[in-house]
Amino acid sequence: MLSPYTVLDLTDDRGELASMVLGDLGADVIKVEPPMGSSSRRMGLFLEDAPEPERSLHFFAFNRNKRGITLDLTTEASRRVFLRLVEKADFLIESARPGEMDELGLGFDALRRVNPLLVYVAITAFGQDGPYADFAASDLTLAAMGGSMSLQGDPSRPPVRITVPQVWLQASAEAVVAALTAHARMLRTGEAQFVDVSAQTAVVWTMLNAMVAHAIQGSDFNRAGSTLQLGTIALPLVYECADGYAVLLLNGVMLARIIHWLVEDGVVAQEWIESEDWRWYDVRLLQGEPLRYGIQEVLDACRRYARRHTKQELLERGLREGVTIAPVNTVEDVARFRHLQERGYWLVAPLPDGGQAPVPGIFARLTETPMTVRRWAPKLGEHNQEILGGILGLAAEEVAAASGTRTG
Amino acid sequence: MSEQLPFGGIKVADFSWIMVGPTTAKYLADHGATVVRVESASPPDRLRAAGPFKDGVPGTNRSQFFGDFNTSKLSLSLNLKNPAGVAVARRLIAWADVYIESFTPGTVDALGIGYETACSLNPSIIMASNCLMGQSGPAAAFAGYGYHASAIAGFHELTGWPDLAPDGPWMAYTNSIAPRLLAATIMAALDHCRRTGQGQYIDASQLEMALHFLAPQIIDFSVSGRVASRNGNRSDTMAPHGAYPCKGDDQWCAIAVESDEQWDALRRALGDPAWARDDRFRTGDARHRHQEEIDRHLAQWTSGRSAQEVMHLLQSVGIPAGVVQRSSDLLRDPQLAHRNFFRYMDHAEMGNIPYSGHQFRIRGYESGPRFPAPLLGEHNELVLREILGMTDDEITEVVAAGAIA
Repeated sequence: MLSPYTVLDLTDDRGELASMVLGDLGADVIKVEPPMGSSSRRMGLFLEDAPEPERSLHFFAFNRNKRGITLDLTTEASRRVFLRLVEKADFLIESARPGEMDELGLGFDALRRVNPLLVYVAITAFGQDGPYADFAASDLTLAAMGGSMSLQGDPSRPPVRITVPQVWLQASAEAVVAALTAHARMLRTGEAQFVDVSAQTAVVWTMLNAMVAHAIQGSDFNRAGSTLQLGTIALPLVYECADGYAVLLLNGVMLARIIHWLVEDGVVAQEWIESEDWRWYDVRLLQGEPLRYGIQEVLDACRRYARRHTKQELLERGLREGVTIAPVNTVEDVARFRHLQERGYWLVAPLPDGGQAPVPGIFARLTETPMTVRRWAPKLGEHNQEILGGILGLAAEEVAAASGTRTG
Repeated sequence: MSEQLPFGGIKVADFSWIMVGPTTAKYLADHGATVVRVESASPPDRLRAAGPFKDGVPGTNRSQFFGDFNTSKLSLSLNLKNPAGVAVARRLIAWADVYIESFTPGTVDALGIGYETACSLNPSIIMASNCLMGQSGPAAAFAGYGYHASAIAGFHELTGWPDLAPDGPWMAYTNSIAPRLLAATIMAALDHCRRTGQGQYIDASQLEMALHFLAPQIIDFSVSGRVASRNGNRSDTMAPHGAYPCKGDDQWCAIAVESDEQWDALRRALGDPAWARDDRFRTGDARHRHQEEIDRHLAQWTSGRSAQEVMHLLQSVGIPAGVVQRSSDLLRDPQLAHRNFFRYMDHAEMGNIPYSGHQFRIRGYESGPRFPAPLLGEHNELVLREILGMTDDEITEVVAAGAIA
């Protein structure tokens, strides 16, 4: 879909998903790394736990559909070469700290002179300016400042982030929307666009209903472990089962079906089926009406039932009988999840060490312009000759000088 | 004037509900598209029945959960179980450039507004279906919420404490991932259509989109057999790394020490106490091994100070530190204020209330929600008469048939 467009990707681990998504959508993405490589090449996890630039699974996961070159943008010669690439580009995405590109003489105002239709997207922790713009930030502190941590974790312990870092992925995904919105604006105005993406606000949006809650209801939402607040009642969302956990919200519709399972297993007596109007149980509970069986008694019965079955059994029976039960999958369970296999989701990627592995596939299926993975993450400087020599017509010596790969 | 906006002139029929579809359509709406949100009174969008409610009082038009995700849209209440309602839906699809829906797979075909019908009405339409699992596969019929998808994708397992059952991320985590990727896909499809005149069908699965956010861990499992697990606030590489208690009721500041330099800076900021000079804490690996001990000392220091004080003191020496903020903190966060993030608008029933703003700013363009979320069916008349060009007689007829409800 985006095949007419060229994207220059100057991001590091804070923005690489953004340009990858544009690449998946069809754009020609040129990743520009410093000679020592992107920071994400030094981030774990690593193949065989070897912390080498070509073995980072983080780099590998977020840099497909890109060609890679190296440029040492601290040198005048490299910057001149870079500006020639900017002339040919439609989008530029970077994740430098505010002001860093200006210091190199490669800020938006300099680049728009070279390319008056450029869409320039900058991803930073808090935005380009403002009181916190120069704050130091990490995944953890942004999860805190963006509000999501306050909503997560057991109330008797500190608030928690999602263990696997998410903040820069959220910001990067948002940066794709930002890039395409700005591109649509460029088409209307005929002018280059500067887009300022804030990771903090990308985290705020993960709060969903809690973002403006205090101004509306006069109170904040707070972390409540694995329960879900429904009106005045907090219902558990996570049940221990024979081999792990499952997520189930016991509303009336679910209860009316599950109660038969409980009876069938002998967890509760037969009379439970008839002596309560289960379909409206949750509504009557919320309204404080008298109930034949108290909520704790019902939850205990469901907990006893869940412990007797595996999460896969619960999922499959639920699917057959219209009860929504989700297994709490580990990454191992995900890799083996039959639904994804039958959808043909996984792609088999050749790994940098010569092996291969299934990796997440295309993220949406289109009938006319299907997304494809045309290439896997580039080795450091893999396309220096192809792009600097082939497209810009530099001589071998100039390529070596600009890319910082000159030897001796 | 909306013609000047990025998506001015684009027409969207938003048949989706709850979170992912409506948030996707909101991107287009806030940036200029004319979006008709097709709703029903029976039942209303689940978000209209979920808080936060204005002043804590429930009501169809009092939920800002609904409000935040449906700004800049027109609301048409339409009964799709009624043939006259389906006829109106078809006219809307014929009008639209983009048609978004999030029913259980198969539903739109059964209603007579599936992709084939949409194409026959409008050959260049871009139709996007989104649901948890995608349109095909053995679990396609799984009709759940984002917290189910978050569990299936692996996020539940990865949020909380190793010695407790998983807490899971807040609410419905994958619902914050999917709209970003789906909106981007629709915008790319619009650009393709602008250049070629070609529309298409998009099958988007929340699960398949969200799994990219765990890609390194999934690949790692298949090459090393290692299964990622939840670990509180611990990091594999950094220490100290956690949320530390501060003065006040349930107040916390997150601190992440990324390097030996930052550790030295932290030590000095604490006044170089004797415990911190311990050789066992000098290198990252060593701090990692002894992080529980460091955490105890650090928590003692933070406990006597406000979270704001801890943050500013540590930031002044370059250490990543951030207050664990709640909605009330965000509403007075100076950085968000600087970005003009929250936008106060007058809602017909809730009065002057804040809406969450945009996560990116485009220089020279003060974007944000253009107008508040609609009341249920607020724009029935406008949509039928002005957008669909129906005559008085036609409108009387569909109303009498019970289609507008």
